[in-house]
Amino acid sequence: MSFTSFPFLLLVLGTLVLYYTVPGKAQWFVLLAASYVFYLWASPILGLYPIAITLITYLAALRLSALNARKGSMDKARLKRHKRAMCALTLLSCFGLLFALKYLDGVLVTVGALTGQKFTPLSLVVPMGISYYIFQSCGYVIDAYRGKYPVERNFGKYALFVAFFPQMVQGPISRYRDLGPQLSAARRPDAVFLRDGIQLVLWGLFKKLVIADRAAAVVGTVIDDYSAYSGGIILFAVIFYCIQLYGDFSGGIDIARGVAELFGIEMPENFRRPLFATSIADFWRRWHITLGGWMRDYVFYPLSFSRPFSALGRFARKHLHGAAGKILPTSAVTFIVYFFIGIWHGSDPKYIFFGLWNGVLITAALLLEPVFARIAKAVHLDRECALFRAFRMVRTALIVLIGRYITRAETFLGALDMLSRTVNTFALEPFADGTLLKLGLTAQDYIVLGVSLLCLLIVEGIQERGVKIRRSLGGKNGFVQWLAMFALTAVVLIYGFWIKGEIATGFIYMQY
Amino acid sequence: MEELIALLSEICPSIDFENETDLVDRERIDSFELVAIVSTLMDHYEIELDVEDLLPENFNSAEAIYRLIESRRG
Repeated sequence: MSFTSFPFLLLVLGTLVLYYTVPGKAQWFVLLAASYVFYLWASPILGLYPIAITLITYLAALRLSALNARKGSMDKARLKRHKRAMCALTLLSCFGLLFALKYLDGVLVTVGALTGQKFTPLSLVVPMGISYYIFQSCGYVIDAYRGKYPVERNFGKYALFVAFFPQMVQGPISRYRDLGPQLSAARRPDAVFLRDGIQLVLWGLFKKLVIADRAAAVVGTVIDDYSAYSGGIILFAVIFYCIQLYGDFSGGIDIARGVAELFGIEMPENFRRPLFATSIADFWRRWHITLGGWMRDYVFYPLSFSRPFSALGRFARKHLHGAAGKILPTSAVTFIVYFFIGIWHGSDPKYIFFGLWNGVLITAALLLEPVFARIAKAVHLDRECALFRAFRMVRTALIVLIGRYITRAETFLGALDMLSRTVNTFALEPFADGTLLKLGLTAQDYIVLGVSLLCLLIVEGIQERGVKIRRSLGGKNGFVQWLAMFALTAVVLIYGFWIKGEIATGFIYMQY
Repeated sequence: MEELIALLSEICPSIDFENETDLVDRERIDSFELVAIVSTLMDHYEIELDVEDLLPENFNSAEAIYRLIESRRG
């Protein structure tokens, strides 16, 4: 059930009516029922996966909580061993399932190609959003291991945390401490939450239907047959792919967060205007924030303070001089984190290269930072001035753009070929000879897309200055608020649904 | 405390450790800097810190970091 479909609208409206009609104590159950209707709509069999993950992680967290309660009455080392074994077993079960579903075929194909043997692919169906709910529930188990907060004892309420329908298929990846209590709280309709929720849903629909779907038409036409186009058009299509990806994913997240707000529930931000990033590390702090936060708390920190990496750090600080000595262990862990971020997207080797690309850049930035600082000082350059900031933004955008060649091409070699053609066959003529109108969009589509992107840029520019647009709009009189909502609704209906021809795509990030 | 602030300032020269009280909550220090701070503290004060100590309340200010060091030296 897509977020942009009529059944989804009916589900949200029906759930809202029921949610605010039943007694407060039963409200969470309405959300749980709606969540499973949403999920089982696609396939009742695939619904077994979230149930299995919920059961495994629920029981593991209860057991870890019981072990934590024995702190003081049980031998410390033995307790730690028990907890570690429990946690490791649970994570292995969950990530083992994820591996079997998402990666096993890819690994078998690669191994087969390297060894000359032929493996029959399992061709298992990957349930939508499985990475999201596995990451979210495994984060909960690690928090239970660390004893960060009391675990949820009500199985139904925990099941809702795992399966809450707005976030189940493409995130954001929430933490139980933030989301769990909100899901089970009793609520009355709140005009501010309802208004804010509707605005956010409309904004998300605008980004997805008006912007991303239009950009997708060009991307599909050009990239799937890139050898037929010159370098300029390939570059044009990859820029459109960046636009598509951002509109699609952040639009989907806005819809998810907006729907949650209709129920009075606040979910974490997943994007913070990545176009304004001034470095690749800054980009990753603004893009898919909840995945980055998950990787930081459950992979980066534990590995950084693990015995092998602590020993590596001590060795590096003792034997290597300068920045290299300080950052060697951090860089090594960074590579591992970006390897995981890379393969999060899929089993194809190109995603490993995408992870490495980011790891190399971040490590290079850490190593070169003292050099940059010295150069800036020597030439009296104010690195915080607007012009230099703009330069850093453009530089970051270019780096991200190159990374997108890797993720969008069919293979890593295909990405290199596309990059090579971009440089070697670059020509401006196709931008003036009518080629642009043969890429799946009409002149009117280009105008709609251009104006929409300008609006998006202006809104994000204002937000970047710290203005909370919805709060600010909430302070205006009722007429202005209604006018804004009416205008956005009209744009979404006209340019998102009505005047759109054959342009339509599913959400990209649902496949993860 | 002065020694700690000097140590922290060496790692993150642009941060005013004497007055900042929301270092983690307001993302004034990033994860790389936090790892660098913890590694330096472990080396310099010869204490053991764990990933479970990485709570915002332990690293939001120089004073909080000082309290954490004292509790581990305890």
